[in-house]
Amino acid sequence: MADKTMWTGSDLYLCDPELAQAFHMARVLGMPLLIEGEPGTGKTELPLQFSQSLNLDMHVYPVGSKSTVDQFVAKFDHVKYLRDSQVEVLNAQREERGMDGLSTSGRSTENLDDYINLGPGAKAYSAKNSVLLIDEIDKAPREFPNDLLYALSHRKFVMPESGRVISATEDDMPAIVITSNREQELPTAFKGRCIYHYISFPEAEVMHEIVRKHFPDADNELVDKAINLFYQLRRAGMERAPSTRELLNWLKYLQTFKKNEALDRIVKRSGLGVLVKTEKDLLKAQRFLN
Amino acid sequence: MIFDKILSLKLFDNNSPIFKTMFDSLPHHFRAHSLNADVRTLLLLRKAMEKGLINTIGDMYVLLKGLVAKDLKDYGPFAVAFYDYFLNIEIKKGETLESAVARSESFKDWAEEYLLDEKYIEEKDRPTVHELVDKYLNEIHLTSFDIKKILDGAEIFNKDNPDLKDKLTEGAEQDNTERMLQEAADYQGISVEELLERMRKVAENQREAHNGGSHWIGSGGTSPYGNGGAAIGGIRVGGKGGGKNARAVIGDPRFYPVDTKVPLTDNNIDVALAGLKGIEEEDSEKYLDIPDTIKQGLKRGGIFMPEEKEKITQKLQVLLLIDNGGWSMSPYIKTVTTLFSKMDKRFAHDLKTYYFHNTMYNGAYKDERRTQFENIEKICSLHKNYSVFIIGDADMATYEVSKASVDTWKQLTERYDRLAWLNPMRESYWQSSDTVPFFRSLAEMYPLTPQGIIDAVLDMNRKRRYYKM
Repeated sequence: MADKTMWTGSDLYLCDPELAQAFHMARVLGMPLLIEGEPGTGKTELPLQFSQSLNLDMHVYPVGSKSTVDQFVAKFDHVKYLRDSQVEVLNAQREERGMDGLSTSGRSTENLDDYINLGPGAKAYSAKNSVLLIDEIDKAPREFPNDLLYALSHRKFVMPESGRVISATEDDMPAIVITSNREQELPTAFKGRCIYHYISFPEAEVMHEIVRKHFPDADNELVDKAINLFYQLRRAGMERAPSTRELLNWLKYLQTFKKNEALDRIVKRSGLGVLVKTEKDLLKAQRFLN
Repeated sequence: MIFDKILSLKLFDNNSPIFKTMFDSLPHHFRAHSLNADVRTLLLLRKAMEKGLINTIGDMYVLLKGLVAKDLKDYGPFAVAFYDYFLNIEIKKGETLESAVARSESFKDWAEEYLLDEKYIEEKDRPTVHELVDKYLNEIHLTSFDIKKILDGAEIFNKDNPDLKDKLTEGAEQDNTERMLQEAADYQGISVEELLERMRKVAENQREAHNGGSHWIGSGGTSPYGNGGAAIGGIRVGGKGGGKNARAVIGDPRFYPVDTKVPLTDNNIDVALAGLKGIEEEDSEKYLDIPDTIKQGLKRGGIFMPEEKEKITQKLQVLLLIDNGGWSMSPYIKTVTTLFSKMDKRFAHDLKTYYFHNTMYNGAYKDERRTQFENIEKICSLHKNYSVFIIGDADMATYEVSKASVDTWKQLTERYDRLAWLNPMRESYWQSSDTVPFFRSLAEMYPLTPQGIIDAVLDMNRKRRYYKM
């Protein structure tokens, strides 16, 4: 039985109460949690921190534009299979001549399972009580989410070629988190199989807490000033608003200086390149802040 | 306590008639707000109840939202549907949640009871309507998560109590903790009434403790939530707990009920964009399928023949024709161009925009000021896979629709399969226009609203036919 107690965040991760509840509900119901939201709001962090704080196995599948369900579930190694079946023929000939046979490293062409490379999906389903992250599913080809439907609603994968079935019961389903940056709309049927949660951008107050979690020793004045500037930038209506991740990077950079020097750097807006990523925005930011 | 419906939430027995009568109409109600609710939603809801996930109306809100709201654009309609269904609070078009709550019966009943409390007898001590609505929403959005937090908080409080610490040994303190944990664990068995009552007490304690300078949730980094002050004012939890959502619904424009049936404006442009993103575009190409080649070759006893497979790639090309002449179109042009240029930024695809005045004669213009003419043959020379959006009110004097004009349109509609006309004019006026019915016979026409765009895109995808490049 997988762990189904409510998880409310860890020392390093501030979990929004509503997100925590949605995640808990998804785990109890054995459904995947689909998280959308602006980049850098900690979508990917949730499963990572969850597995770390509870010491669970973590399986990650980073989705790309060429992702297929084979890579996610399991792949049959046809080339190895061809080699081994040729080796069999060859070995028969070699035996006639009294030569040693070639090795197939313990694989047998009789046993098709030997040629299956499990992907993160199948691995997570076979290890009970694990965490599975399908990262940035919006990058996937259109058919990828639809191909996942079967596995998600029937809680099982059928291995290619061998037909072996890897399944999980509702109780020991891995905790599945799927993230999306909304670059493409996901199919309705797919969304129907998930619990949906949209992470909204944290307010300044919450941001202080997040920063505190990452830099417990940071100087208060420094953090206040940095966060202030950060939200000013976000309000400036830029093409690409800076995200939490970028704020944290910027603070990391500022912390390498002595306090006064760091404050000075905030005033002088140096190192703004960490926060602002396009030339147009940089000009806008400078105009806005002056 | 106050809401009949909260009380009935405690009667979530699967077979109770209340469950049946209450939830039978649920999918229908939420569907009426263009949300994805069906029988499966009910089954999941029931399962969630069996597993003890739903103990307060706040839990119901969070779970149901996860189940039926599948996009940011659904959050607004969801809030409207939920308040209407569970609390009889009807949020009218363009109305804020706050004013809808303030005029609702259930809020008035609640406020009356709330103000009976003796400390509010004096007129001057009474909270404002704004504060009351806040409190009311906080109670509605109270989740078992919050309850657990507050009980956990009570645990911290008990441990922190300086008086206790003086007297108790280490072991006794341990007992104390366990007792509180038990309490936290069995909250599901307590009625909502009792829970709210208990929380009120705990909160009361907390307020005193806070004044006395003791620790509370958030102190010493034991809890991720705000510091002590957050709990002042009764049941509100951890400052950001139950109230966050409610506040968000009122204050945050993204949670503001967006009506997908009103004409496109700057405010609902993101919703429309989400609709546009649904345009599917696929492109296929053959490639050598090595696994299949080997498999078939082995079947043939070692004779390998190349096996081919179609490879699918994605692509998106849009041709936009905008009527920018005449006053009737001017309010929409800026919004429409922003919408499509936003699309352009987010996707690596071709976007071609042309302008015309009322109707096309042999072609259209490449620039907004209509100086660079391009004839229809040129426009039709784009690839057949382009998705065409025509944006215009299609309302003009009948003489303007000359044969030359009709032929131009026909050339366009014959060339492109995926073609949609988006009309900013209200749908009910279409029939009374002299020319709209004619243009409707040429192209599918949809209202220029987020919903209209979604419908257009869906129909376009349905008509999808693929042409080789």
